[in-house]
Amino acid sequence: MDTLDHKEVINLLLQLSSILILARVLAELARKFKQPAVIGEIFAGIILGPTILGNFFPGAHEYLFGAHEMTNIAFDGFVQISVVLLLFIAGLEVELHIVWSQGKKALYIAVASMILPIIAGFVVAYAFPEFLGVNINDRIVASTFFGLAISITGLAIVARILMDLNLFKTSSGLLIIAGAMIVDVIGWLIFSVILSLSESGSDGLGVWPTIGLTLLFTLVMLTVGKGLINRVLPWINKKMAWPGGLLSLSLALCFLAASFTEFIGIHAIFGAFIIGVALGDSEYLTEKAKEILHQFINNIFAPIFFVSIGLKVNFITGFDPGIVGVVIIVGLVTKYYGAYFGGRLAGIPRKESIVAGIGMSTRGSMDIVLGLIALETGLVSEPLFIGLVILAIIASMSAGPLLGWARNLKV
Amino acid sequence: MDIARDKWSCYIIIVQTGKIRLFKGHSILKMYKKVALAIAFSPRMEALISESKRLVQLFGSDLILIHIGKKTDELETELDEIIIKTGLDKLKTKLIWKEGKPVKMIIEACKEENADLLVAGALKREGFLTYYMGSVGRKIIRKAPCSVLTLIEPRVGSTIFEKIVINGTQLEITPNVIEVGINFSKKIKAEQVHILNEIKMYGLQMGTASEDSEEEASQTRRQLVQNEMEYVQEIMKNIDAGDLKLNIKVTGGRWAVELARFCEKIEADLLVVGDDHKLNFFDRIFPHDLEDLLSTLPCNLLIVKN
Repeated sequence: MDTLDHKEVINLLLQLSSILILARVLAELARKFKQPAVIGEIFAGIILGPTILGNFFPGAHEYLFGAHEMTNIAFDGFVQISVVLLLFIAGLEVELHIVWSQGKKALYIAVASMILPIIAGFVVAYAFPEFLGVNINDRIVASTFFGLAISITGLAIVARILMDLNLFKTSSGLLIIAGAMIVDVIGWLIFSVILSLSESGSDGLGVWPTIGLTLLFTLVMLTVGKGLINRVLPWINKKMAWPGGLLSLSLALCFLAASFTEFIGIHAIFGAFIIGVALGDSEYLTEKAKEILHQFINNIFAPIFFVSIGLKVNFITGFDPGIVGVVIIVGLVTKYYGAYFGGRLAGIPRKESIVAGIGMSTRGSMDIVLGLIALETGLVSEPLFIGLVILAIIASMSAGPLLGWARNLKV
Repeated sequence: MDIARDKWSCYIIIVQTGKIRLFKGHSILKMYKKVALAIAFSPRMEALISESKRLVQLFGSDLILIHIGKKTDELETELDEIIIKTGLDKLKTKLIWKEGKPVKMIIEACKEENADLLVAGALKREGFLTYYMGSVGRKIIRKAPCSVLTLIEPRVGSTIFEKIVINGTQLEITPNVIEVGINFSKKIKAEQVHILNEIKMYGLQMGTASEDSEEEASQTRRQLVQNEMEYVQEIMKNIDAGDLKLNIKVTGGRWAVELARFCEKIEADLLVVGDDHKLNFFDRIFPHDLEDLLSTLPCNLLIVKN
C-alpha cells in the first residue's frame, strides 16, 4: 500500500490545521454577529482557497494546497468522510415522532414548500439552461436538481434561530422543525434518485428500479433496520464503554450503510442519512449520545467540509451577478410562498403561515452539500453553485431578523 | 372476533366520571356516576369486577355491565352469582346485552351511557401480528369517546395505587392530564405523585448550542430544564394538590419511552397520559408516543381524553 511521504504528511497536517484554525476564528466572528458558524466556515474556505489566498498570495496557496497531489487525495478522503458524517447527523436530527405529532399541517407546509421551488426551478433551468449553467446534455435531470437545490430547508440552522428567538417549542416552531425534517427526507430521496439517474445514464438501473430500490432501502431501514438497532443498542449501552462503544459502532454503522447504498447505485450519502434517521429514531440512542455526536461532527468534520467548498471554487472568477440574482429571487420567493400557501391550505392562521414561510426558507447546510455533489457530478456549473452558496448565506443570515419581525406582526 | 379470546381485554369496565370543571380557578372533581363492565366470562372477570367495584365505591358511581354476545339463561345465572359474590349493589348495577362486533358495540355503549372513563383489562405482552393488526382492547382504547383506564393485573382484592406518574410533557392536552391525574391521585390517596416532563429534541437543541461558549451552553441546558419546571408549576397554580407528595422530573428523551422506563424503575402503579389524536395504521408501522406505551404497558394506564 502506498503511503504519504514525510513532506506529504506535513502538508496534510498543515492543511487540516489551517482549515480548522481559520474556520474556528471566522465561526467565532460569525457568532459575535449572531450568525451561524457555517457562514464563518464558508468564508474561511473563500479566504484559504483560490479566491483570496490563491489570488493575492499564490505562492502560499500553492505550498498549502497545490504542491502535493497525494496529499490532496488524502485530504479529499477527509472531505468525503465529512460529507457522509454531515448527512449522518442530518439524519439523526430527523425525529419521526415529532413529524408524526405535527401531522398533516407539517406535511402540507413541507410538501408545498418543495413543490413550488421545484416546479419554478425546473421551468427556469429548463428554459434557460445555458444562462443558468445547468448541464444541457442532462437537461431534465439537471433542471430538476436546480429546483430541488432551492427547495431544501436548513434544519440545524433554523433550529438554532428558533431557539434564540424562544420559538422552538411554540406551535409555529415545532411546525417548522417537523416541516424541515420532512423536507430533508423527501429532498434526499428525490436527490438520490435523480443523482443515480444522471450518473448511470442509459446503462443504469432506469428510473423505476432506482426509485423502487431507494424507497425499499428507506422502508427496510426504518422498520427492520430500526428493529435491529433497537435490539443491539441496549446491549452496546450496557456491555461496552460509554460513549466510546456507541460512538465507534454508530459511525461504523453509518459507513457501512453509506458503502451499501454506494454499492447498489444510490449515492453513499443517502445511506448515511437514512441510517442516521433510523438510529436517531431509536429510543435507545440517548439524547446525550446525540449531543456528543453533534458536537464531534459539527466542530471537526463540518468545518472541513464547508471550508473545502471555498478551496474548490473561485468565488470571483465564477461569480455571475445574473445567475446569483435569479437563484436568490427564485429561491427565496418560491420557498417562502410555497410554505406560506401550504400553511394556509392546512388551515393555519395567516401570521403563523408567514412565520412558517420564513422559517422554511432558512438554508445553509444540506443544500450546500447537495449543490457540491451536483457540481462534482457535472450537473451544474461553478457560477450556479456559487449562486446556491450565496443564496444559502443570505437565507441563513436573514432568517433570524425576519422571524423576529414576523412573530411581532399584527395580522 | 370473540372478545373472550382477545388477549388485550376480556372485560371492559366503563366508568362514568364527573367532568373536571374549572370554576373561578378551582377544579372540582365530580364523583363517577356510572361504571359499565363488558363481560366475557373468562378467569380474570372476577378480579376486574372487584376493581370496578372499588372505583364505584370510591367515586359513588353506578355500574353498567355489558355483554357482547347472545343472552342465555346460563350466562345470566353465572353473572348473578358473581355480582352477589363480589358484593355489588344491585340497585346501582345495570345490565346491557348486545350482539354484534365487540369494538363497535362497546364504543356504542360508551356513547349511549355518555361515559367519560373506560376501564379495560390488558395483558402486558402482545404478539407481533396482533400488534400490527390491532386487538380489541387496543381498538377500544383508540376509538373510545372517553378516557380509558387500563389495568394490567386486576386483582380480586383491588389494586392499590400508591405511586402515580403523570405525563407533564408539553402537549395541548397536558393541563387537563395533570389536573385529572392530581384529582385522581387525591381521590385514591396516592402516596407519591411524579410528574415527568420531556425536553423536546434535547440532543438537537444542545447540539446546536455547542456553537456557544461553555458557560452559554450550560446556561442553555439549565434554561431548558427550568422551562419545563415552570410549565408544570404554571399549570399547578390552578390545581389544589392537597397533601399529595409531588415530584417534578425532567428528562431529555422521548416522553413515552422515558415514562415507561421511569414507571418500571420506580415500580409505579398507575401512569396518567393524554390522548388527543386518532391513531392510524402508520402509527403502528412507525410506533411513537402513545403506541410505544401501549406496546410496553409498563404499569396500569389512565388515558385521558378531552
